[in-house]
Amino acid sequence: MRKTFTSGNIAIAEGAITAGLKFYAGYPITPSSEIMEYLAEKLPKLGGVVIQMEDEIASINAAIGASWTGAKSMTATSGPGFSLMAEAVGLAVITETPLVIVDVMRAGPSTGVPTKASQSDVLQARWLAHGDYVIPCYAPWSVQEAYDLTIKAFNTAELLRTPVVVLSDAIIAHLWEPLTIYDHGEVNIIDRKIPRTGERAPPYKPDPDLVPPMPIFGKGFKALVESLVHDERGYYAPRDESYRALVTRLHMKILKRLDYIFEYETYYCDEECEYMLVSYGSTARVAYIAMLELRRRGYRVCMSRLKTLWPLDREKLVKSCRARKIIVLENNMGKIYMDMERIFKEQEVYSAPLLSLELPPVREVLEVISVWL
Amino acid sequence: MAVEHSKILHPLDRHLRTERLPTMYCPGCGIGIALGAIFRALDRRIREGLVDPNKVVWVGGIGCSARASLYVNYDAAHVLHGRAIAFATGVVLANPELQVIVIGGDGDIAGIGGNHLIHAAKRNIDMIVVMITNFVYAMTGGQVAPTTPLGVKTTTTPSGNPEPPLNVIKLIASLNANYIARASVVTPHYIENFFYKALGMKGFRFIEIISTCPEIYGRHIGLRDPVEMYNELKKRVKYKPKPSLEESDINWDKGIIIGEFIERNTPSYLELLRKVYVR
Amino acid sequence: MVFNLSALKAVPPLITKEHGKIRVCVVVDRCKECGLCIAVCPMKVLVKSNIENSYGYHPPDPLNIEKCIGCRLCEYNCPDFAIFVEKVE
Repeated sequence: MRKTFTSGNIAIAEGAITAGLKFYAGYPITPSSEIMEYLAEKLPKLGGVVIQMEDEIASINAAIGASWTGAKSMTATSGPGFSLMAEAVGLAVITETPLVIVDVMRAGPSTGVPTKASQSDVLQARWLAHGDYVIPCYAPWSVQEAYDLTIKAFNTAELLRTPVVVLSDAIIAHLWEPLTIYDHGEVNIIDRKIPRTGERAPPYKPDPDLVPPMPIFGKGFKALVESLVHDERGYYAPRDESYRALVTRLHMKILKRLDYIFEYETYYCDEECEYMLVSYGSTARVAYIAMLELRRRGYRVCMSRLKTLWPLDREKLVKSCRARKIIVLENNMGKIYMDMERIFKEQEVYSAPLLSLELPPVREVLEVISVWL
Repeated sequence: MAVEHSKILHPLDRHLRTERLPTMYCPGCGIGIALGAIFRALDRRIREGLVDPNKVVWVGGIGCSARASLYVNYDAAHVLHGRAIAFATGVVLANPELQVIVIGGDGDIAGIGGNHLIHAAKRNIDMIVVMITNFVYAMTGGQVAPTTPLGVKTTTTPSGNPEPPLNVIKLIASLNANYIARASVVTPHYIENFFYKALGMKGFRFIEIISTCPEIYGRHIGLRDPVEMYNELKKRVKYKPKPSLEESDINWDKGIIIGEFIERNTPSYLELLRKVYVR
Repeated sequence: MVFNLSALKAVPPLITKEHGKIRVCVVVDRCKECGLCIAVCPMKVLVKSNIENSYGYHPPDPLNIEKCIGCRLCEYNCPDFAIFVEKVE
């Protein structure tokens, strides 16, 4: 391992390299372009390929194609580019393609403020494409976590044959902090299962863990990557049994591994508290300081920080909360708030939409929270 | 299905997922003819040892032509409308040993996929793109396409198409492709020979195949019978050994020139990439 | 009620006719009666048969097989891999 001092964007790039990234396709967009620029320099020297495509749609489709040759693939973008990638996310879901998509959120809607942050893509990260599906989404709050969760994203993608979203934002992207970079052998790296048979392995026949081994191109598997609803062979199956089987399996293979996917951190939640702050990403940094300040003033406050935004483990969250009032702090009009309200049925849940192009000062946050104290 | 297929069937069966036959194509649809000719070319190259069938990957978008990816007995992908070329770019860059064939219709490749087509040709990326032109969006019932001739009545231009058509050959020829040819289903030998040649080349190879579509386009222009449409197309198709781009416009009255418009040996994207990367 | 019509009519999977060194084979259930093979044949070997395949189509019958020159135009122009020409050993 080695220690360095660098930005969130670079940390994501390094995380991808540690995880075994082999193919990157992207399009420049503020504030994510450094990821592609850094990889364009580093990845070819490690035997990988980086290509700047003509748009985001081409980028994600190329990344999906590359994944089907067995290469770990990634693309990074921001809000406007993420919106363009919608259809392809659905393609990755139904073809069960391992893929990491990084959305470095910026202020929207539309062109918004390209150089400043928001957390407004949270629901889009959950359900960008049309159709019925669930995909994992991770939200780092620091440079080190940007690195760690990118590795986790790759592992999740490979383990469950699914696209995974890493939600960073403009603050984390350009924030500089110390980073520990691990060597390939020092951290757990998961690779996708590949079938052993030589011929015509049904590309969508699941193992007991509901994930089929992936018959990558070029090995004589005669794989069929199919965007239509299909049966186990990959053949178009417009029938109730096949449709239900496919859609439910695509959900269950993710939800069954909630234990692996769902990560969160709590601060002082094992004490008897009156208030619990819930936050994630860059906003959590301010929420944490606000919590410390409130505790200093005598309030019994604890905090729960989500590292995994989707899917949420309602059991774990409910069990970990002893407070009566929950305040959800996020840099949007209240998105995770909706699920917190749904999950915490016994508590009063409030939304603190801290719309802030840069990290808000703590006193502003305290002012907002004090309404409910 | 009541009748069992006998084991020894058509000589091209090794290229097909025979359990999915008969295809969904209409009677007289030219796509099957094009596929047969392509298989013959593949067959020859496989026998020569130049092409490894395990390394061939077919990529199709959405549409009747792109559905060929469902029937071929190779690694194949049936992806999003217009995005086959982007997907294929990822495939060939991540594994340059693979021989990628993109197949699609004129709407899929030159309409919604136009931008990807342009950039792939500009890069001279290593792949063969087969565009089967039937002048209409047939799968969805007969809407106007980028190549639909002026004045033709389609389901979305019921008073006649007010747009002049796109000449895809001329468009791609302005870029860096190594091979641009046009064939037709009424002259399947040329499809086979052009594809055979393309398999031996590097870089971006583009073959347009003018096709019959009796059920949909035929309905629009009054040639609903497969044999009638085939014969009418045959009257208009003319092969030229070295056609110029000025002759590449498709004109149902003046005739359709087929042949090899561009054939050159400029460095492909993979070759340029190798030169650029310093290890 | 489901009728297994083909069992009643006993349709063969292949119609084959040969003459000399040439054999013409029709894969009955793949044919869609487009008529292209009959139209392109320069020697008028093929005619539409009365056999009905599982889809209700009438595949061609190489009735005038003795006129066949083995040009394979039928094979090359069939969109459905339903007809081919073989050399008889």
